[in-house]
Amino acid sequence: MTPRRAVGTRGASAFGYAGLIALLVVLVIAFFVASLAVGYAPLALPQAFRDAVSGQGTLAALVLTELRVPRALLGALVGFSLGIAGAAMQGLLRNPLAEPGITGVSGAAALGAVIVFYFGLAGTVPFALPLGGIAGAIVATFLLYGLAGHGAGTMTLILAGVAINSFAGALTSLALNLSPNPFAVAEIVFWLLGSLADRSLSTVWLVLPLMLAGWTLLILTGPALDSLTLGEDTAKSLGFNLGRLRLMLIAGTALSVGSAVAVAGAVAFVGLVVPHLLRPLVAHRPGRLLFVSGLGGAALTLAADTLVRWLPIRPELKLGVVTAIIGAPFLFNLIYRLRSTA
Amino acid sequence: MPIDQQSTAKWATVVIALAVAPAAAQTLPADKPARIVSLNMCTDDLLLRLADPARIASVTWLSRAQRGSNVADIAARLPVNHGLAEEIIPLDPDLVIAGTFSTRTAVGLLKRTRIPLVEFGIPRSIEEIRGHIRAMARLVGESEQGERIIGQMDERLAAMPSGTGARPRAIVLNPNGATVGRGTLVDEIMTRAGLDNVAATLGIDSYGLLTLETIVSNAIDVLIVSSARDEPPALATEILKHPVIERLSDRVRIVSMPARLWNCGTPAVAEAVELLRREADAFKRGRATQ
Amino acid sequence: MMDIAATGITARFGSTTVLRGVDFSARSGEMVGLIGPNGSGKTTLLRILANVRAPEEGEVRYAGKTARAFGARELARRVAYLAQGGEVHWPLRVETLVALGRLPHREAFGGSEAADRAAIARALVAADIVQFRDRTMGQVSGGERMRILLARALAVEGDLLLADEPTAALDPLHQLQAMQLLRATLREGRGVIVVLHDLALAMRFCDRLVLLAEGGVLVEGTPAQVLTDAHIRRAYGVEVVRGERDGVPFLLPWTPRGI
Repeated sequence: MTPRRAVGTRGASAFGYAGLIALLVVLVIAFFVASLAVGYAPLALPQAFRDAVSGQGTLAALVLTELRVPRALLGALVGFSLGIAGAAMQGLLRNPLAEPGITGVSGAAALGAVIVFYFGLAGTVPFALPLGGIAGAIVATFLLYGLAGHGAGTMTLILAGVAINSFAGALTSLALNLSPNPFAVAEIVFWLLGSLADRSLSTVWLVLPLMLAGWTLLILTGPALDSLTLGEDTAKSLGFNLGRLRLMLIAGTALSVGSAVAVAGAVAFVGLVVPHLLRPLVAHRPGRLLFVSGLGGAALTLAADTLVRWLPIRPELKLGVVTAIIGAPFLFNLIYRLRSTA
Repeated sequence: MPIDQQSTAKWATVVIALAVAPAAAQTLPADKPARIVSLNMCTDDLLLRLADPARIASVTWLSRAQRGSNVADIAARLPVNHGLAEEIIPLDPDLVIAGTFSTRTAVGLLKRTRIPLVEFGIPRSIEEIRGHIRAMARLVGESEQGERIIGQMDERLAAMPSGTGARPRAIVLNPNGATVGRGTLVDEIMTRAGLDNVAATLGIDSYGLLTLETIVSNAIDVLIVSSARDEPPALATEILKHPVIERLSDRVRIVSMPARLWNCGTPAVAEAVELLRREADAFKRGRATQ
Repeated sequence: MMDIAATGITARFGSTTVLRGVDFSARSGEMVGLIGPNGSGKTTLLRILANVRAPEEGEVRYAGKTARAFGARELARRVAYLAQGGEVHWPLRVETLVALGRLPHREAFGGSEAADRAAIARALVAADIVQFRDRTMGQVSGGERMRILLARALAVEGDLLLADEPTAALDPLHQLQAMQLLRATLREGRGVIVVLHDLALAMRFCDRLVLLAEGGVLVEGTPAQVLTDAHIRRAYGVEVVRGERDGVPFLLPWTPRGI
């Protein structure tokens, strides 16, 4: 469907790591521009860009800077967060099915954000909304690691995710029912499927510092994740502190995914599909997979969000619908391959 | 006079709801019902303007909300219901008034009892409002009061002269990006206030959805934002607070319209027309001085 | 050059005490075999020596310093650990996997790349797996896999190599190759501590043996001193037969005791 599939069949050696990163950066930029070019009002992009840069507040410049640019930026940030977090979870849990959606981390983050938003807490402290998402994500990752860490099998991992997702989803529904605004009840669709519609630049500034902190923590776990290929004992013998690794991973995942879900809802499958596709291209090295999965996640999310507006379906499809339609077949494929190796 | 004929026709439409109901169960209301129940916020409003509170057994709980209700003070002193049949039947009402869009299961249940039940739809024009007021006034035996209310409303509407010159381009922004187009009460209110409803130009009939991009790029002069943006937070109302609206405020007049003035077909729509007329005039003055 | 000295090591799993007040020492230039029946605590002791597990009581000193005084990273450079079972979770390229042994040596800004490449090359040669360097772990056989994991431990180029049952599940050819490889590392001044369940290999290849049984050290010394009929009967409950080839004695477990 996308150029990435053709690249995968040619193998990693043809590109090298630097080449892969360059290619992904180009893809992200291309989909970013596509996201800017697609929308609900006819927009001459070059003219709007010139107007915006020269400070003229024409309507076209306004649409570009206040509506399209924030949406595209947020798409890239949310996608990067989901991609890198998926790769990190898979590296730590040594399981290709681990990702924020399946394991319930996104669902719990949505719960945290819902509690903050609908009960009027979003204005109380700076960053309250993403902090709510982060708090939810932290609880879920602790639970998950407690239940399915230490080399527990795939079944335990999936069951833990099902349990966390069910519980978080039920509590989210309850919170929405109890909220003082009557519109809230119908909005569970946003939180469960995700959307980037009607975002503003203030949302971008709200999550950017927290996401950057999360990404940094995750990237720093790269060498430790590589060493975990050989198991926990060997990793320890190579000088890595596993307790500290787990904390960095929990914190990094919570910061990235928590912020992303707080502003865009729980967009599913990005953290599953992207690492799965890119793993062969980095020769299965968990450390290298982190950054490229971030880039791949950004590209995929931007592409999906562009598609959502390009399709003539109104009202606009939720972003999670498109990522689920793309991602579910990958999940089927993964399960099938796990079956034949089990 | 044509108006009388039209209002009679509207009243007849309303009563058809009565006639079509299962004849075996339905009974006609008494001339002056003494235990009236209303199941709909809009019918609450009209009822409380027409009938003596002593004859009203219950109105909906929504009518007590200060922000959303025109009749909150009166409703505060009356028993309230939540639209459930089990709340209503024990009150032994001799007339139940419901909206065509409210609590379908309760209405269905009540229709199977012997309680007289009348449904009112949403008026699509000010003429229909007059018809509804007359119909309800006749139901509760207060026809004179009904004519008084209509007279007051018409006085206020006539006090505004028809506007001259170009009509400012306006659009309504409601929660979730909903807007109001042709053939609706809101459309007529805007027209009477001297505004040009851009949603109608965009081809929207009745209700439709707008995106912020459409609003920004359609060079409007007046943006009527639902007062829902001051309520507790929800994603539906976030669009009403988007920063781009603030950025538009140097060239667009942003008007906050209290939903209670035009959500229902009540005499309060006159106040809505007055409010918009003031805003339209202010906009034209501002444009003239540039 | 480094020596390792463990004193008073006690290890418990829940309510079971596996090791009770065990002392152990080894130094560079010698190959020490940790032997004993199943459940005698060999793997546990090795993990404690490798600083992968903390003992409930007692301490381990490396060249006279505790692990904490050394620092985890520095200790990881000096002590290499080859875990039991050989788990590899991702099908990495062989050379990439061997390169994992250089992780303790990485500098913040990648300054030691040349030294790393040289060490990896040496490890590939020593383990005789140069021809596999571009294959992935999914494309190698069991014996090749063990050599690759051994190469990874060699790549650390530490003073001590601690190997847990490196010959398990290997065919005879690869068992012998692995043991010969371990002996070869001694020549570079390294020390090797290896957990073995195979008495024949222990006798043939180790300079010293430590026989664990019943929660403590039953006997330690040269293979001749340790592998007497009496000790073997007591620790393992078997009778052995002995022989000699080219002046080198060997033994084989023959029958359970008392039959």
